[in-house]
Amino acid sequence: MSKTNELPMPKFTKVRYKAWALDRMTPSNEKTENSYFLSNEQGIEISGISTTYYQLDQELIDQGVILMSVIDAQKKHSELFERLRGQVVFDETDQLTYQNAHQFNTGIFLYIPSHVTVHDVLHLTLNQLATSEADFVARILIYVGDNASVNILQTLNTIGNKVTKASIVVEVIASESSSVQFNSIDALKENTSAYINRQADVRSHAQLDWHNVAFNDGQVVTNLVSQLNGENAISHANVIAITHKKQTQGFVTKVINYGRHSVGHIFQRGVILNRSNLIFNGVGKIIKGAKGSDAQQESRVLMLSRHARGDANPLLLIDENDVTAGHAASVGRIDAEQLYYLMSRGLSEKTARKLVIRGFMGDVLAKMPTKASKQYVIQAIESKLIDEDK
Amino acid sequence: MTTLKIENLHVTVADKEILKGVNLIVKTGEIHAIMGPNGTGKSTLSQAIMGHPAYQVTQGSIYLDDKNLSEMSVDERARAGLFLAMQYPSEIQGVTNAEFMRAAINARRDEHNQIDIMTFIRKLDEKRAFLSMTEEMAERYLNEGFSGGEKKRNEILQMMMIEPKIAILDEIDSGLDIDALKVVSRGVNHMRSDDFGTLMITHYQRLLDYIVPDFVHVMMGGRIVKTGGAEMAKKLEDEGYAGLRDELGLDITLTDEDAD
Repeated sequence: MSKTNELPMPKFTKVRYKAWALDRMTPSNEKTENSYFLSNEQGIEISGISTTYYQLDQELIDQGVILMSVIDAQKKHSELFERLRGQVVFDETDQLTYQNAHQFNTGIFLYIPSHVTVHDVLHLTLNQLATSEADFVARILIYVGDNASVNILQTLNTIGNKVTKASIVVEVIASESSSVQFNSIDALKENTSAYINRQADVRSHAQLDWHNVAFNDGQVVTNLVSQLNGENAISHANVIAITHKKQTQGFVTKVINYGRHSVGHIFQRGVILNRSNLIFNGVGKIIKGAKGSDAQQESRVLMLSRHARGDANPLLLIDENDVTAGHAASVGRIDAEQLYYLMSRGLSEKTARKLVIRGFMGDVLAKMPTKASKQYVIQAIESKLIDEDK
Repeated sequence: MTTLKIENLHVTVADKEILKGVNLIVKTGEIHAIMGPNGTGKSTLSQAIMGHPAYQVTQGSIYLDDKNLSEMSVDERARAGLFLAMQYPSEIQGVTNAEFMRAAINARRDEHNQIDIMTFIRKLDEKRAFLSMTEEMAERYLNEGFSGGEKKRNEILQMMMIEPKIAILDEIDSGLDIDALKVVSRGVNHMRSDDFGTLMITHYQRLLDYIVPDFVHVMMGGRIVKTGGAEMAKKLEDEGYAGLRDELGLDITLTDEDAD
């Protein structure tokens, strides 16, 4: 591990997270036989280092789809797994990528061969077992072949409430002309300080959209990146976040246009309560030669407490002339017209506020792929707002 | 019977006085229309009654029976029996029409007597069909991506679900084609009863062909300058507001006069 000292810590502008000591973790070996969230869905649930739920249609297995824990993948498909891993998130980018690469001992491997369409929503559920003092270091690796398509719901949860840390790196390769809807709900608990890094390699004519619900309760830095590596590659990176109590969540959401006519849109919405901090950094980067590409971003933050702190920092880095780009950012208060409209129907101010806040994050909520996930998001918003009056 | 009583109402918006002494009484069982040229305070009146925070009452009073509305919040006014069909309804994503209307109905009932889901759905289905609205609209997000006509219809649907005592319809006819206008009018006429009163605000006489008012008021320069029956609207259509102003000898400049 000596190498980590030479690498820099990743940069999360305006987020002070050094004290969280995310560069020092001891991976946990906690096991369990319980499955916590899945019961009928297509997909896999990993809890600690155990596989606690698994269901995949025989038809998909016959078509060559692989879905298993990384522990199993390293045994059964080690050559394939090792070849693909580290292609999107390089091991030696910074201290935290290096640490994850060398310490992960759990996670999920999903391989979808070319021309395979997965019709049902595929659930990838990752549960941290915070039942000992040890940390959670996990990797998710997803390969989606040419012309393949998949709709993923990836969730992150904490079971138990010991004070721990977590590092989760998710790599997605979206091959030519593939289509990937990557929906994620991050719901790590209050005592977990975490580093989450999701990155995608989006190749020619492929489309990968992120819908990331960042509803963690603890200290978290999140990096979300789409590399538009091929012509006509498209990615929409959508994030909604709520921070409450005294937590901090910091984001770097980034789209890099390498390919000609590639399209990258960032959309972030955050709600800040109590004494919490929420920082959105949006980065649109267009590389020289990416002619005809488009980089747009919009980040908006609702500040619902005088004691909270919020920031929305847009950054456009453009090295090519023949492009379109734009950004909008704001830190504001609740929409008074919407509030008035709802109250004019008799709803109390409290109920109306709740609905306006939900509406503020409605773009991403509407994209959640299942009824249960929509319901989860609605309820999570309400339960975080309960603390508002305190 | 419920009475909305407005006396000598003065209202300012951003420090500019828009209403300069409005007197008006609307009772359940009556349909009133307020007409008038642009920029004369018609919408200000409706927002002031509902309690929009940008509209300051500086003089006069608004009472609903014995309740002084100026002392009540927007939601309290609504629960007291007022309804405002808005000119520009808000869009709220993530909140379905059905959920919203159910919350609005339940806000009027006590915690132990909330409307049960089957009764609610049956009522919604009935009203929705009456307004020729599709079934899927219930699960669509509140006004989100609705056309102008759909929004107006949705306002009337909300009114029919909530069953207010006094409804103010602010330019419910604007932007509607003739078919949509008929549907919206059908909704309002269906509500017509001894327990329901309406104050309609409109630019055009056309609406009054479909919803025949008991009283027509003409507003100019922040006051009601003339009150008559349904036949007065027809006369106005022929002679214009400038004609009426001159007839009454009023010293008011009409916003769009140069265009005439």
